[in-house]
Amino acid sequence: MEKGFTVWFTGLSCSGKTTVSQGLADELRKRRLKVEVLDGDVVRTNLSKGLGFSKEDRDTNIKRIGFVCKLLTRNGVAAIGAAISPYREIRDYNRREIKDFVEVYCKCPLEICIERDVKGLYKKALAGEIANYTGVSDPYEEPLNPEVVLETDKETKEQSIGKVIRKLEELRYIPPAEATSYTEEEEETIKQRLSDLGYL
Amino acid sequence: MVIGLDGVPFSLIKGLLAEGKLPNWAQLLESGSLKRMNSVHPCVSSVAWATYMTGKNPGKHNIYGFVDRQPGSMDVYIPTSRDMAGKTLWEIISQAGKRVVVINVPVTFPPREVNGILISGFLCANIDKIAYPKEVAGLLKEMGYRIDADAWQARKSLDKFLEDLHLTLEKRMEAMFHFLEGETWDFFQLHIMETDRLNHFLWGLWEQGDAQYGPEFLKYYQKIDAILGHINNALDSDTRLIILSDHGFCGMKKEVFLNHWLQREGWLKFRGKAPKSVKDIHQESKAYSLIPGRVYVNLAGRESSGSVRFPDEYERVRGEVREAMLGIRDPDSGERIIERVFTREELYHGPHYDDGPDLVAIPCNGYDLKGNLDEKELTYKGPLVGMHTFDDAFLYIKEGEVRKEDNQFGVMDVMPTILKLMGVPIPEDVDGQPLV
Repeated sequence: MEKGFTVWFTGLSCSGKTTVSQGLADELRKRRLKVEVLDGDVVRTNLSKGLGFSKEDRDTNIKRIGFVCKLLTRNGVAAIGAAISPYREIRDYNRREIKDFVEVYCKCPLEICIERDVKGLYKKALAGEIANYTGVSDPYEEPLNPEVVLETDKETKEQSIGKVIRKLEELRYIPPAEATSYTEEEEETIKQRLSDLGYL
Repeated sequence: MVIGLDGVPFSLIKGLLAEGKLPNWAQLLESGSLKRMNSVHPCVSSVAWATYMTGKNPGKHNIYGFVDRQPGSMDVYIPTSRDMAGKTLWEIISQAGKRVVVINVPVTFPPREVNGILISGFLCANIDKIAYPKEVAGLLKEMGYRIDADAWQARKSLDKFLEDLHLTLEKRMEAMFHFLEGETWDFFQLHIMETDRLNHFLWGLWEQGDAQYGPEFLKYYQKIDAILGHINNALDSDTRLIILSDHGFCGMKKEVFLNHWLQREGWLKFRGKAPKSVKDIHQESKAYSLIPGRVYVNLAGRESSGSVRFPDEYERVRGEVREAMLGIRDPDSGERIIERVFTREELYHGPHYDDGPDLVAIPCNGYDLKGNLDEKELTYKGPLVGMHTFDDAFLYIKEGEVRKEDNQFGVMDVMPTILKLMGVPIPEDVDGQPLV
C-alpha cells in the first residue's frame, strides 16, 4: 500500500484553493495514486450541511474534514482538503491528528480576491449583506510554518501545482517524476517491444 | 544465488537431460532437487515475477499483466515497479542489513532502492535510467550492456534475431560476472530473459524438428547450460544456488482474439469504426478483454463507460460470458479453445482485488489469447510459434530438498523459501509457504 498523506489548502475565499487542489488531484491521479478531494464548498452541502459560519461552526466543519482526511490518509489515500480554515489552532489540531500533513497556504492579497469574487460573495459581504465573512468581517490567521506557500496572484496554476508536487517529492510522499513515468518516446519504445513479443 | 530462466519448461530440461544434452545440469542434479512448479494466472512474466519477488498473489501486489487500464478514465498503461505494492524479496533482505545485487528481473523498472545494486529489466527503455544507484548505468554503457534482444528482428530474419539474442546474453553475462566477482553480496539474482524470447520464435520450429533452427534452439540451451556451469564453479561452498523459471512453454497453433469474439457475440461494441484502445468501447458494452484472457465486465460506477449494474446484472453477465467462453471452438479444426475460466474471487484476494479482472480464461495448449481490438477474424497464425503454460515451470535448489511434490506448489512459494534459507524473517502478509 502506498503511504497516505493529506495536503491541506488554506487561504481566503477566491485565493485559488479549489483550482490548485483540482489540478494537484489530476497530477497525482496521473501518477496512479488514489486521490480524494474534500472541498469546503462541497462538504458544506453534505458532511457539514446545516453548519453556519460562527467560529464554533467553522471549527466543527474543519475538524470533520480533518477527520475524513485522517481516515483516508491511514488507508493509503492522497487526501486533499481545501477549505478557508481561517483559524490556526484548528489547522494545527488537524496536523497533530493526521500527522502526514502538508499545509499549503494560498497567499493572495485580499484586494485580488475581491477582484476575482467568483461567487459574488465579497460584494455582498462588503455591502453588509453577509455577516462573518473571512477577510471582510471575520479574521483569517495566516499559517506560521506552512510546508508550501503559493502566491496565486503571481504564479500560474501550473507553477503552483508544481510547487506542491516538488514538496511532496522532497518529503518522499511521492517518488520523483523521473522515476515514475516514461517519456513519451520511452513509452512508445516499450509498447513496441511488448507488441513485437505479442504481449500487447 | 538465484538464477531466473524466463519461460523454461521443466519438461524441456528433463527431456534434454535424458538425451544427455545438458552436462552441467546433470552435474547440478547430483546434489539438489528439481521439481515441476506451477506459475500464476494469468500466466505472463510480469505477473509471475511480481508474484515471485513479493511472495504474494496479484490481489496484493497489483500486477495483473503487461498492460492494464485505469477504470475511471479507461487510459491504458504499462504497470511498472511503481505500481507493484509490497516489499520485494531484495528489499526485505536489504532491510535485514544484507547486501544484494539484482540483474534484469521483469517489473523492477524504475529501479527501487536496495542495499546494493539493482539493474532493472526489459520494461526500461533508457539505459541511463536502468540502475540503482544511477552511477551503475555508466559502467553498463561502457560494457556495451544490452537491455533486451530486438524481437522485431525475429519477424524479419531469424538468423539476425539469433545473432542478437546471443550477443545480448553474452553482454549480460559479462556484466553479471563483473558484479559477481567485484561486489560484496549476500544475495545475488540474475535473470535470463533470452530463453523466453527464443521460445516465442523458435519453439515450434524445434518441436517440428526444423533442420536449420531446431539445432540452433538446442545450441542456445547448451550455451545456457555452460553458463550455469561457470556460475556454479564461481560460487563458494557456502553459497546456495537456486534456479527457477516462471512458466512453461508449448507450441502455438493460433493466436485467438477474445475481443473479436465478445464483439461477435454482442457483448462488446465500439464508438467509431477503428477502435484504438479500450477507451473507445461503447457504453452499451457488457464486457471487454485485455491480454491474456483477462475479461472485465463494463461495470457502472467503475469503468468510465460502464453500464452493467452491480450486483445482479454483473453476476448475470459474468456468468453468461464465462459459460459462453467455454464453448469457443477453433473455426478450422473444431477444437476447444478455452480449457477453464476462473472468477476473480477464485484467484485473488487482498487490497488490490478490485483492480483485477472479473474473469480469467485459461486457454487449451496451443491457443494464445490476445487482447487486440480491431481484428476481422477470431484466430490468426503469425510468426509467434510458442506460448506460455501454467503447470510446467521448475524450481531447482542445490543441496536442498523441496518438500512438496511436483505441481503441489507455485512460484509464490519461492520467496519465503529463500528468506528461510537466508535466516531472514518472513513477513506475515506473504501468501507463499517455505518449501524447505
